[in-house]
Amino acid sequence: MIAVSDLTHAFDGAVALDSVSLSVDDGEFLLVTGPNGSGKTTLVRHFNGLLSPTEGEVRVNGVPAEADLVAARTAVGMVFQRPADSFVAATIAADVAFGPENLGLSHDEIDRRVATALDAVNLAGRGDERIDALSGGEKARVAVAGALAMAPDHLVLDEPFSGLDEPARRSLLSHLASLSADGTGIVVVTHDLRGLIDRCDRVIALADGSIALDAPPEAARAELPALDVHVPASERLEGESDTR
Amino acid sequence: MATNTESVDLVGDEAATNLARAALFAALVGAFAYVSFPNPLSAGVPITLQVLGVFLAGIMLGPVWGSLSMVLYLAAGAVGAPVFSGGTAGISYLIASPTLGFLWSYPFAAGVIGLVAHRGTSLSEVDAVPTPVLVGAMVAGTAIIYGFGTVGFAVIQYDPWYASLWQAFLVSSLAFVPVEAVKIAAAVGIVKNDAIAAA
Amino acid sequence: MIGYVPGSTVAHRLDPRAKIAVQVAFAAAAFAYTTPRGLAVLSVLALAVARLASLSLAGVVRSFRVILPFLVAAPLVATIELSPPAIDPGAAVYPALSSYRVLLVVVVSAAYVRTTTVRESRAAIQRTVPGRPGVFLGVGVSLVFRFLPVLRREITAVREASAARLGTERPLVDRIERVAVAGATRTLGRADRLSTALSARCFAWNPTLPRLTLTRIDAPALALAGALLAAALFRAV
Repeated sequence: MIAVSDLTHAFDGAVALDSVSLSVDDGEFLLVTGPNGSGKTTLVRHFNGLLSPTEGEVRVNGVPAEADLVAARTAVGMVFQRPADSFVAATIAADVAFGPENLGLSHDEIDRRVATALDAVNLAGRGDERIDALSGGEKARVAVAGALAMAPDHLVLDEPFSGLDEPARRSLLSHLASLSADGTGIVVVTHDLRGLIDRCDRVIALADGSIALDAPPEAARAELPALDVHVPASERLEGESDTR
Repeated sequence: MATNTESVDLVGDEAATNLARAALFAALVGAFAYVSFPNPLSAGVPITLQVLGVFLAGIMLGPVWGSLSMVLYLAAGAVGAPVFSGGTAGISYLIASPTLGFLWSYPFAAGVIGLVAHRGTSLSEVDAVPTPVLVGAMVAGTAIIYGFGTVGFAVIQYDPWYASLWQAFLVSSLAFVPVEAVKIAAAVGIVKNDAIAAA
Repeated sequence: MIGYVPGSTVAHRLDPRAKIAVQVAFAAAAFAYTTPRGLAVLSVLALAVARLASLSLAGVVRSFRVILPFLVAAPLVATIELSPPAIDPGAAVYPALSSYRVLLVVVVSAAYVRTTTVRESRAAIQRTVPGRPGVFLGVGVSLVFRFLPVLRREITAVREASAARLGTERPLVDRIERVAVAGATRTLGRADRLSTALSARCFAWNPTLPRLTLTRIDAPALALAGALLAAALFRAV
């Protein structure tokens, strides 16, 4: 569980987050949305201690994130925008193994985690392929596997769909849905809600560094347009007819 | 999960940033080895940007990390990354090739350029460094590169090496030294460029 | 261009550390015995190594063309005497042998490059260099392999975009500046995103070291390295 209380963050004096409080339950599928510059990325980077609060506190499983960075970063896996810039190795398995290696796990445990993570994103058996030769959608899935190999309670994805074509987007979505069904908490930061709003448990919208909306999807649907967030029309039906 | 979080010795944010920059600049110097421009002075010797990459590593990463970046460049090339001139790789280029002095000079050249440009080991704003200091730093760097290069060439090719330094310079360096002026001019322009200053 | 090619040759199965030892010892022997007879013996050995690694000699020679002009010019220039001006063909012998010696060492090290994955090289580095320097070198080398093709593609794209708008007509210094500014700014941006991602995955100074164990087939390779080194030392004393 992630508990954020009165979190304020300022970059060189400019306030990006202003006294934000919220909590994310284990297993919850949360959508964080809002216009560009509303503080979405800044907020989630506090979930695993990549940023330190200017004021306030973030606790992961009861412990302040900054007090135990390893615990926070293991509990909260993160997938970044532009996944191509986050790989450390030239081949898939070598990259996915990076996190577990840092945790000092045994070779057998590392192998097991790499295999499980690749399996979860439908890349089983492709560990020796060069990342450079993969499509954008496959790269995004390798990045997800790299985070999953840390065995996180929550998986945070920052604009995971930018630059993906429609099939790749749908494939990533279905992987997130099955991870969610298996109990991993999912936090998606995006301004593009297609295929997401009916899959999530809760929607948070930020505006100018504050929470403007915190509601279940049905209620959020009505409120979001007023916050300058575009809501795709009856996407559930559209999404399902697309898959046929 | 069952991880003992206290036993993990995390790399600090600053060190992680420096390491990432050093490694990517090493890759950039490798990528620059493939970029060639026609040489206005002698058509047979194309201008490649490798040495410009060494200059920039010293100026932009400073003496310590600029120099470490070039160590990564050599290590990666030694184990097979095609980063040496003409896309070559292999430890042979560091231990047996007559051009080895040029490669081994890069960590030293980047270090000295960084030291002169930043006037010490701590980083200062590069766009505030006066142009004569920048030019002086790169002239010193160029002298190191061709000094190491020439001596290395003589040691590998000739016996006794000290009797053949002028031949070594003639073969390995003479045609290349003049175009370094072009790269120094370009590097000054790059450092004063707004896009870099903002980065 | 030479690079790793997957396969199951003997050379592929050797421990990378044993292969590095052979390369260094081979070079030492080649420097100790830069004589026609010594290089003849080492040529046979280099051919055997190439064979064990299924290495194409034509490919090696092609990669060799970058330094070829130097290797040809060095012996030629050595024949020139300044005072009194004269030509001494005998002076070309040693430099010519030196030039040939380089080719042999390049063949042996190309066998390493062809048969060793980045992961194995990284393992060899981190198991040889202890502590933080080992992590720096191991992860750093891995990152160079990862980002070299990315940066090359990017620079090519910048040059094409510039050429499409007749950037090729601009003065040389200006063109170099443009390519380098684009390359350097993007490199810095990527490095910053990368370091955030490294931190998020608990980048540590004390990770589990990659698996690497010497096996029985490494014994002959290590023996060869030992013999070559002993021969080189014998000559030196």
